[in-house]
Amino acid sequence: MKRALPFAAALLILPLAACGGGSGGDAAKAAGSKGPIKIWYANNPEEIAWAKQMVQSWNSAHKDQKVTAQEIPAGKSSEEVIGAAITAGNAPCLVFNTSPAAVSQFQKQGGLVPLDNFPGAAEHIEKRSGDLAQQYKSDDGKYYQLPWKSNPVMISYNKKMFEKAGLDPEKPELSTYDDFLAASKKLTGKGGAKAAIWPAPSSEFFQSWFDFYPLFAAETGGKQLLEDGKAQFTGPEGQRVADFWKSMYSKGYAQKEKYNGDSFADEKAAMTIAGPWAAKVYGEKIDYGVVPVPTSKGTPAADTKTFSDAKSVGMFSSCKNQGTAWEVMKFATSRDQDGKLLETTGQMPVRDGLTGTYADFFEKNPQYKAYADAAAHTVEVPNVPESIKVWQTFRDAYSRSVIFGKSDPESELKKAAAEAEKLAGQK
Amino acid sequence: MSAPKTGRKLPRLIVLLIGACAFLFPFYYMVVGSLQPEPSSDPSALLPNPAGLTLGNYTAINDRVPLLSALANSGIFTGGVIAGTVVFGLLAGYALAQMRFKGRGLVFGTVLLVQLVPFQLLMIPLYVMIVRTYGLADTYLGIILPFAVNSTAVFVFRQFFLQLPRELFESARIDGAGELTIMLRIAVPLCKPALLTTVLLTFIGPWNEFLWPFLVTKDPDMQPLAVALANYISNVAGRAANPFGAILAGACVLAGPAVALYLAFQRRFVSTDLGSGVKG
Amino acid sequence: MSSPARGATSPGRLRSLGRNLLGLGFVSPYLAFVAVVFAYPFGFAVWMSFHDYFFTAPNVVVEHPFVGFENYVTVLTDPDVRRSFVNILVFLVINVPLTVFASMVLATALNAKLPMRSFFRAAYYVPYITASVAVVGVWLWLFSSGGLVNQLLGDLAPEPSWLVNETLAMPLIAVFVAWKQLGFFIMLYLAALQNVPKELYESADVDGASTVRKFLSVTVPGVRPATTLVLIVATITGANLFTEPYLLTGGGGPDGSSASPVLLMYQRGIEQGSPDVAAAIGVLLVLFVLVVSLINRKLTERG
Repeated sequence: MKRALPFAAALLILPLAACGGGSGGDAAKAAGSKGPIKIWYANNPEEIAWAKQMVQSWNSAHKDQKVTAQEIPAGKSSEEVIGAAITAGNAPCLVFNTSPAAVSQFQKQGGLVPLDNFPGAAEHIEKRSGDLAQQYKSDDGKYYQLPWKSNPVMISYNKKMFEKAGLDPEKPELSTYDDFLAASKKLTGKGGAKAAIWPAPSSEFFQSWFDFYPLFAAETGGKQLLEDGKAQFTGPEGQRVADFWKSMYSKGYAQKEKYNGDSFADEKAAMTIAGPWAAKVYGEKIDYGVVPVPTSKGTPAADTKTFSDAKSVGMFSSCKNQGTAWEVMKFATSRDQDGKLLETTGQMPVRDGLTGTYADFFEKNPQYKAYADAAAHTVEVPNVPESIKVWQTFRDAYSRSVIFGKSDPESELKKAAAEAEKLAGQK
Repeated sequence: MSAPKTGRKLPRLIVLLIGACAFLFPFYYMVVGSLQPEPSSDPSALLPNPAGLTLGNYTAINDRVPLLSALANSGIFTGGVIAGTVVFGLLAGYALAQMRFKGRGLVFGTVLLVQLVPFQLLMIPLYVMIVRTYGLADTYLGIILPFAVNSTAVFVFRQFFLQLPRELFESARIDGAGELTIMLRIAVPLCKPALLTTVLLTFIGPWNEFLWPFLVTKDPDMQPLAVALANYISNVAGRAANPFGAILAGACVLAGPAVALYLAFQRRFVSTDLGSGVKG
Repeated sequence: MSSPARGATSPGRLRSLGRNLLGLGFVSPYLAFVAVVFAYPFGFAVWMSFHDYFFTAPNVVVEHPFVGFENYVTVLTDPDVRRSFVNILVFLVINVPLTVFASMVLATALNAKLPMRSFFRAAYYVPYITASVAVVGVWLWLFSSGGLVNQLLGDLAPEPSWLVNETLAMPLIAVFVAWKQLGFFIMLYLAALQNVPKELYESADVDGASTVRKFLSVTVPGVRPATTLVLIVATITGANLFTEPYLLTGGGGPDGSSASPVLLMYQRGIEQGSPDVAAAIGVLLVLFVLVVSLINRKLTERG
């Protein structure tokens, strides 16, 4: 087949293939190589503050292995930027904002360094993150990411709005679907809220992480969307979660139209699904409480699983001084630096025994305690090939059947399951 | 238009005025929204109490975005694009409209084809080429290059030169003038409005462009205003007291120079007296 | 121009050679630019659409087997893609005539000697330069379910509301884009109107023609090249629709009824890492617009 290529096309491809050079021997050499490196981190003020001090304290101790750090935009465009940089070969050594959902794609592109290349790396990851680490292993059994920090999502509720609706603002009953629907009825009726809860109803692939997926994780006791190549969301649990959201939408407790702004901050919605970052964002404006996501039977808080909304650290294959990069990665995820991350950002390091390790912090900041408990029960997106395509397929089916009620969720999700299994089965 | 017709202009004026309000509304919305300390989606927020307004959203930008250097980068980027567009666009547009040569149809087809292809299709190969093959990351040339000749502008020039009467060119050629002279001395002065239009229309593309300069420049000192502001916006979204206000303030800062430039240029946008040109 | 008969004589042939060289000289900088910046990525995209391709890091060697029309089959059998092409057709049918008509009429109205003419011209240009976030914000404020338009309509408000209504979402986007881009096209027409000889209007006045008559018999034919331009540019920018479904209807909602081919290209190619499939959509889109533009051009330049 290759010979059938027109000559012109071969010429066109040349610039992309050029400047490659050998790779096999280089990998081993790069793994041990030390020297200056570049890193990228997310651009929200708390993470900037953390990254700056981290880089400074590394640099002051390692004059010959200087780290240069830069901000990249958080959220959607960061994956585009990283993808383009991988292809062009100018990605930095480390990105402290790698989305686990994008890892399989970066890995397929040959953009990520398997961390198992470094002696003791797997031990470091597994010792730090405990059982949670398993969810971040790729299908070849290697770690292409270091699970860094999570934002376990929970239900935040506005105490003032609950009071107005005649609900208990301190211990609201929200643990079962029936409770949740009853509370929603009061909130939108007597309480006058525009919506009881307002997850973004738009079609971006990641939106299901903040409506369906946390409840699914809780209902199933910690199943991922796909496990061993089989879609899990067509079972009775997935069905119950879909039916719950469908009633929320059809009864008008959740809005089908996107809110231009933050519905919770603007007090249009009485509840929201958010992680610990909420404390920094809503803390001063809104008096709010936190409860776990609901389940059909009302699972006790201590056992309720939820979505992790985690970010990883990835090492990129264009990195020359990978030895230094690995040392920086270890340094940045040390007990000391994780503590600083917790203090400055309020986000949870993916570390076993958080509340014990940083007991002082949680004593002083009790509002984070619930998140830390939840952090031990998080479920990650499945680390499968074509991960983003799988999520988009799921989102389209969910949007059609659950949000807009145009078809039956059961048959629609079955169709999506078949499609997702086909996609994830590809290599 | 002669004096007695003034009365008939009134209805037209009223219609235009209503239309102008509809078109100015988003701009008004943007300015008012950027001055509000708290977000509000109530219709009453559109007629705010002047005492409640604040410049806080703007001072916040000034604290975090290096406005001067970003503005200079934007100026260089946009200036480079306009210069390229005008020089190459004029030449190509003139040739396509008023010169006869082999392959003209093919060139015109290319002009159309280039416009047809969505940028999303070309972006990554283009990025790899500019950054890896040409080594132009973090340079002004790298930012400017993909935009340096705007095919729409070539098309605009061609259509305007096509509109000019043939006799003008014929007589100049008989007088022995070279094509470049004819273009600069006859075609360009007559098409001044078209020229200004093209400048105003191509200006806004690079001025507001985010993704490309963002991909090419990783060095904050090289980033144009749109990129610096987009970074700022994604950074404050959800954090400031009035996130939407902060976004709108960013949009105002970006729109300011564009509006100023338009006002400066459009005064020169006067009718050329073509009739006498043909007669003379 | 010169008659073809002249080409037969020897000095004529020389002149025609000179003319060819001169003409090519004028367009060569443009062609050089196209070759340097455009030809390679575009050729590459076309090549990609016939292969199993994804972007890799520089050192990675992966087979990219030739797959014939497989990507095209994938694309054409995908109901979402087919739907996006229907959507864009709906968009063009509404947007393009509206744009041409409104911008020509408004430009003619603005071309008269009016008081505050500068103000008016600036006013119509402003939405074009106002950042999308602000313009989309206004549109959401007007057309969301509790928005101003629905409040004015009362019981007549559509159910479900505009932006979440499958039938109304795309027409609404078409009107939105026409409104946002109108300033651009008014400018084009205004510039074109400067070149319509005044004598034509004067002699029409002498014949006692009405305003409408003058518009139809002097203005419309006088700006024909500009109309070709507006038609084609409006078609092309319309076909490349991306930002509006992305921002206004939350990624082409509801249920894909406002998804555009470029939005799907973005999803497939950049988000999901299948640039080969995205390239196939792109090539089909280019062919689609080419056909539409050629029809337009036939209708206007020969009409």
